[in-house]
Amino acid sequence: MKRKKNIVTLVVLCSVFWGYGQSDTNLVSETFSTVHIVNGHSTETLKKRQWRYVIAHRFGDALGPAGGVQNAFGFDNASDIRFGFDLGITDQLMIGIGRLKGTATPYRSILEGFVKYRFLSQKRDNSMPISAAVTSTIFGTYMEASSDPTAVTSFPEFAHRIAYATQLTIARKFHPRISAAVLPTFVYRNLVDEFDQNALFSLGGAANIKVTKSLGLIAEYFHNFNQEGRREGLTNSLGLGLEWITNGHNFTINLTNARGFGELQYIALNDALWSEGQFRIGFTITRTFKY
Amino acid sequence: MNTMKLISFRWLTVVAVTMLLFAFYQAKDVEGEYRVITAKTSVEDLLIDLGKAPVSHYMDVYDSVLAQVGEQLIREGQANYGNHKGKRISSHFQCTDCHSLVKEGTLLTTIDPQQRLDYTQQHTMPFLPGSTLHGLYNRTDFYNDDYYKKYGSLVFDARNNLGNAIQLCAEYCASGRPLEDWELEAMLHYFKREELTLEELQLSSEELQLVQSAVQQNDHFKEQARAVVEEKYVRAYRATFTGAMPESDRKYGSEGNSENGKKIYEASCLYCHQNARVTYLDLDRDILSARYLWNNRKGYEDQSIYQVIRWGTYPKAGRRQYMPLYTEEKLSDQQLEDLMAYIKEQAGK
Repeated sequence: MKRKKNIVTLVVLCSVFWGYGQSDTNLVSETFSTVHIVNGHSTETLKKRQWRYVIAHRFGDALGPAGGVQNAFGFDNASDIRFGFDLGITDQLMIGIGRLKGTATPYRSILEGFVKYRFLSQKRDNSMPISAAVTSTIFGTYMEASSDPTAVTSFPEFAHRIAYATQLTIARKFHPRISAAVLPTFVYRNLVDEFDQNALFSLGGAANIKVTKSLGLIAEYFHNFNQEGRREGLTNSLGLGLEWITNGHNFTINLTNARGFGELQYIALNDALWSEGQFRIGFTITRTFKY
Repeated sequence: MNTMKLISFRWLTVVAVTMLLFAFYQAKDVEGEYRVITAKTSVEDLLIDLGKAPVSHYMDVYDSVLAQVGEQLIREGQANYGNHKGKRISSHFQCTDCHSLVKEGTLLTTIDPQQRLDYTQQHTMPFLPGSTLHGLYNRTDFYNDDYYKKYGSLVFDARNNLGNAIQLCAEYCASGRPLEDWELEAMLHYFKREELTLEELQLSSEELQLVQSAVQQNDHFKEQARAVVEEKYVRAYRATFTGAMPESDRKYGSEGNSENGKKIYEASCLYCHQNARVTYLDLDRDILSARYLWNNRKGYEDQSIYQVIRWGTYPKAGRRQYMPLYTEEKLSDQQLEDLMAYIKEQAGK
């Protein structure tokens, strides 16, 4: 087992304009409909004094050996479940916490916390052509440690339960109906097995096509790089979604081969293939409030 | 003996000072037999001199610190004062989301909605559903006429009492909480600070002469002068709730002026909805927003412009985000059709 112990410093990339105040009418809005796209982070943040809860679900494989009619096309199983609570600190800065069931390959019982800061906002007059946000996430599992000392879940030290991800989202709304984003993402796990790497880099791409004001289609793909030395069978995640937005609510139903939530799982640990029928139906429901 | 002399001397001093003060007071009284009219003369004080009963919220002078706190509460929805750490009055609104703080017409009597729109356009102001708070101190009646239809018996205590009117607004109109005593006091001091002054009434020289003459104890002219002054500003805004226009009467923009509608859309709708500033519904100048509004134009649901502008949505104290309504006095039916004409044009219909 290749063990590395590192302390990764989470960097707050930009100073925070606490008094940013009310919306600038020159700003482009609704580049994406909500804080997440399918799995990745959009450039959207909750506004100051808004909070929301999130319930997200990924069912089992729709087709393939674990899916099909016998498993109600995946509805019999839950590959991952996430409950989250997000809070807008300013119009540009938000934080969120979540609890993930985990896919059990290998992690279960994962806690997640993230800070997102939008440091660029696209403007109507194109004086700023893009929006950009950075999201730093920390993951920690509190699952029971394995007694097998060779297992990655043996967690000899507490720090081995921790992983980090930093995602940069650069987005542009090209047209009232069309937005796109690129999402360079860095994932770091403190402990990995000998057929893996601690540090991973992935480049995501996403698009949002609005059919009507309240109905949109989304697509998202992450391509993982530096795969040398990693075990075979790890895959890139591809997700397609249908969004329905009402005032204060957002409902997304999606199809994705990613079994788990969070960069730790959908980037670093995904091994499902669309071509094998290992995609699943998922949904996300959010409700936003003001405080 | 020495002690006695000292006491006598002290008494003499006290008596002398008292007499001096009394003399000064008398002198002031003589000098202040009538009010000297200036541009900054308080309209309310002037009217009292002319025989009007003071408004129920009358105050002699305002406290500048409290007035500043009041302004902060009105503009930002939250303020601290001394040891009081303020909480937000409403999670959803602040006063300026619905009310302007300056006059909305060339004259203080401007109530015609198109004149109001033209004036607010010239001065790059929003076109809001609430009456301006400018000159609120000088008003006598609040939540008039049809406001009963929305707020029921809650309006009874608010109609003749500015403090109660503010509380009703904070708790129900803004879906917030009742104000603390010091917050209410601060707002009242702000409104006193911003009360109407004589120069704002734009009196002619003859009218000014009449007022001056009446103030100078000429009882014969007092009533006449009072009427002249009271005609120069709105003491009670009328409120007519027309209800949603019947579908049979709707022209769906076919007889509207889209250029005028564009002004309303930008100065009213977008003032709150752009970038979802006040509400969750994010509206823009794009085709998607226009189609959303166009496709929902029929019927009597909240999504229909014809419905929501005339009824708004319903408030729940401290709870729900809602939309206030535009009375007939604040937005005419023709303007509503103008707005729909713009939406139709934008939607490509």
